[in-house]
Amino acid sequence: MPTRDELRTRLFLNAALPLVKVVREENKTLRHITSKLNGVVQFEVKGTDWGAHLIYGHGELEFQRGKHEKPNVAFVFKDLVQLNNFFSGKSMMMAWVKGLYRLDLIGATLPMLLSLKMLMPDADPKEPAKRALKVKLLLYMVTSALSQLNKAGDELMTKLTKGSPDRVYQWSVPNGPSAFLRMKNGKTKAGRGVYTRRRPFVLMRFSDFEGAYQVLTSKAPLVEAVKRGYVVTEGAMEYSKEIGLRMQYIEELMA
Amino acid sequence: MALDAAELKRLKQKARQIREDIVKITYTCGGAHIGGSLSQTDIMVALYYKYLNIDPKKPDLANRDRFILSKGHGGAGHAVILGDLGFFDTDLLKDFNKTGSPFGMHLDYLKVPGVDASTGSLGHGFAIGAGMALGARLQGKKWRTYVVLGDGELQAGPIWETAMAVPHFKLTNMTTIVDRNMLCIDGSTEEIMALEPLRAKWESFGWKVLEIDGHDFNEICGAIDEANDEKEKPVVIIAKTKKGKGVDFMECDKKWHYAGLDEAMMNKALESLKKGAK
Amino acid sequence: MAKGITWSIEDADHMTQAEIYGEVLTQLAKKNKKIVALTADLAGSTKIGRFQKDFPERFFNVGIAETNMMGIASGMAATGLIPVVSTFAAFAALRCAEWVRTDLCYQKRNVKIIATHSGTSFGQAGTTHHCTEDFAVMRVMAGLTVIAPADAYETAVAMAQAIEMEGPVYIRIGRSFEPPLHKSIDSFDFQIGKAIQLHEGTDIAVIATGRTVNGALEAAEIAGGQGLSVRVLDLHTIKPIDTEAILKAVQDTRRIITVEDHNVYSGMGSAVADVIAASGKGCVLKKLGLQDEFSIVGYPDDLLHYYKMDADGIVEAIQQVMKMDFEQDEDWEDEV
Repeated sequence: MPTRDELRTRLFLNAALPLVKVVREENKTLRHITSKLNGVVQFEVKGTDWGAHLIYGHGELEFQRGKHEKPNVAFVFKDLVQLNNFFSGKSMMMAWVKGLYRLDLIGATLPMLLSLKMLMPDADPKEPAKRALKVKLLLYMVTSALSQLNKAGDELMTKLTKGSPDRVYQWSVPNGPSAFLRMKNGKTKAGRGVYTRRRPFVLMRFSDFEGAYQVLTSKAPLVEAVKRGYVVTEGAMEYSKEIGLRMQYIEELMA
Repeated sequence: MALDAAELKRLKQKARQIREDIVKITYTCGGAHIGGSLSQTDIMVALYYKYLNIDPKKPDLANRDRFILSKGHGGAGHAVILGDLGFFDTDLLKDFNKTGSPFGMHLDYLKVPGVDASTGSLGHGFAIGAGMALGARLQGKKWRTYVVLGDGELQAGPIWETAMAVPHFKLTNMTTIVDRNMLCIDGSTEEIMALEPLRAKWESFGWKVLEIDGHDFNEICGAIDEANDEKEKPVVIIAKTKKGKGVDFMECDKKWHYAGLDEAMMNKALESLKKGAK
Repeated sequence: MAKGITWSIEDADHMTQAEIYGEVLTQLAKKNKKIVALTADLAGSTKIGRFQKDFPERFFNVGIAETNMMGIASGMAATGLIPVVSTFAAFAALRCAEWVRTDLCYQKRNVKIIATHSGTSFGQAGTTHHCTEDFAVMRVMAGLTVIAPADAYETAVAMAQAIEMEGPVYIRIGRSFEPPLHKSIDSFDFQIGKAIQLHEGTDIAVIATGRTVNGALEAAEIAGGQGLSVRVLDLHTIKPIDTEAILKAVQDTRRIITVEDHNVYSGMGSAVADVIAASGKGCVLKKLGLQDEFSIVGYPDDLLHYYKMDADGIVEAIQQVMKMDFEQDEDWEDEV
């Protein structure tokens, strides 16, 4: 069973960090600025295997789990706790930065990373476009986080996935983003969009972007949210509760 | 209020005639629930010849009073009365119990004109009667529902479900009568599964209880009058009767719950009835 | 639904399933003053509470006294009313079996029974509150129409049609939280006694009823992806059974799998077997359901999986049956 710090690091690196891709996709200016960039930007914990990296090239930005052989830039944290504090917005401290001369990469990456601050509970953007983006980011993050939790061997999560028949949990916003979590016999996969190969086992259908916002930011607890019509859950009733519990757990972990 | 002499005589004579018919039919059909048919007769005669608003020519009359013989095994006694009133040709009774006959131990409401529910399985008729009373009130009907229960029948749980529901729903548009002949098949009700204190049971369920001699027309009619007028609580009339009433060798003997009669016995029975009718 | 595997979020509707039947009953009651509702202390659980709110004078709660409820319903029907009674299936069909038989069916009373929490749909409540025997007992009541709707929309339509027809009807449903099968209340053609073909196919036919229908359809789609052509029939009416649809499936596929949230003895599968046997045509029949056992405790969706009545279980059964040779010729030696 992984430690709490390990879980947090894993979620920040593998569920939160990849979202910079989405941030970039949604922002024309950012795309333009980063279109000519080439290089690898890494986030790592000193002396461990913990890390993840972003690859700029060919006008695209890719995300890869784990450490790269030769990153051009590396944000190195002295331990898991320091990384976790950084990503949870508690501090800007890191051990050091390798490749400080690559101001182009740093200059592109840091702002994108900082924009992920909008995921924080106290961030409450007023602009509808920003709110919609937050919904999209949260949706993707939650599903990835659930899957990562399982892959980490977290007991609360593996209790749900172990021996599970092939089941798909789907979240969706009408005319908006959707994401799913598929689980089967201990394995999980988070995905974006609608899983079309079978009916969802649990479907959480948000009323609209605002409803999704209320639920995903936990401004409205699930029971309230259902009562107010922010979300309609269909499918296995008991399991929508179970997954809701784990969504809450993730929120606590990443706070 | 006591019945006047003419009325009393009419009812008593009718009761005796019905008892004779019951004895005869027990003979012809090979066997009947004679004990219970005889014990209920006076109650039935009072109801059918004095109280029930019915029309033998129009058995489905919408606003007729309803009658449920929840102790459905009293069917022979019931059939004989319906035949006498003209609900059907009494000739049909000679095929009682035979294949395809509308008459068997327990009367079939779908086949016998004048019957409002098919009873026989104890514990059902009471609820059906309550449902009728409820339906009547909901639709603003003024007709009344009468239910006759057996006392052995009171051992059945479902009876008490209905006994709770009737006062709860304030169904004072129904009158319930218990043919308290103290016997079930295997013996005295008190030995098999004691019902006493029976009055206390009904009262605790919210009923007004009237205990009467089930063979005294003055008491029977007085009680039914009182029950029909009562608007506060539903009324149950516990009528103390004798199983096999009127036939001296049958009275209070459990073996006459269901029996056949040969000609000699039938004549003995008829004679006993004649003697008792003084 | 296209052959292959596609499912879209747009296919679901927005009213919660649990609300639909209560809503429809209330609509019907507004128009037909003869409808009254009865429950035995289960107004909340069986969703008939909505009726209570709108028509309190036509709603009767008899407390925990199911047999009394049936008897009273019989009496009320005798006065021309149309009683809709509701309780859990175990109590409606088993505890009240004699009342249904003698006071409703034998006496031809116009009472409609909504039996909820049937099969293993009451998962966590355990065996005492499950009912995997009601098809068997209700099928055998002469004059009773027996329906197991696949989702809340079918329940609503079935109830409306039940109220239109004369005679006792038994409608068995789950907890009302089952996922929808159809897109909306008027997106399908429902006739009591007529099975609905949800998926065409010629290799094998899956005949499902009640809450197993969704999984059957899903199984057909999955098997379709494996190259099999699977017919799916939603057999919502157990009695009178759609002999024609079954015989056509026998004729066209010769392989039938039945699925029901019920004991495989004397249930829908057995009813289908009756039809197959009477036809004299060769056909293999595999019955999915509880294999003559009592159900266990579990979340209802897990129980569907446990008893192999879900899509995965049905796919497995399809694969098994497709491998079966049921023709007589097991002797492969050449004749000499």
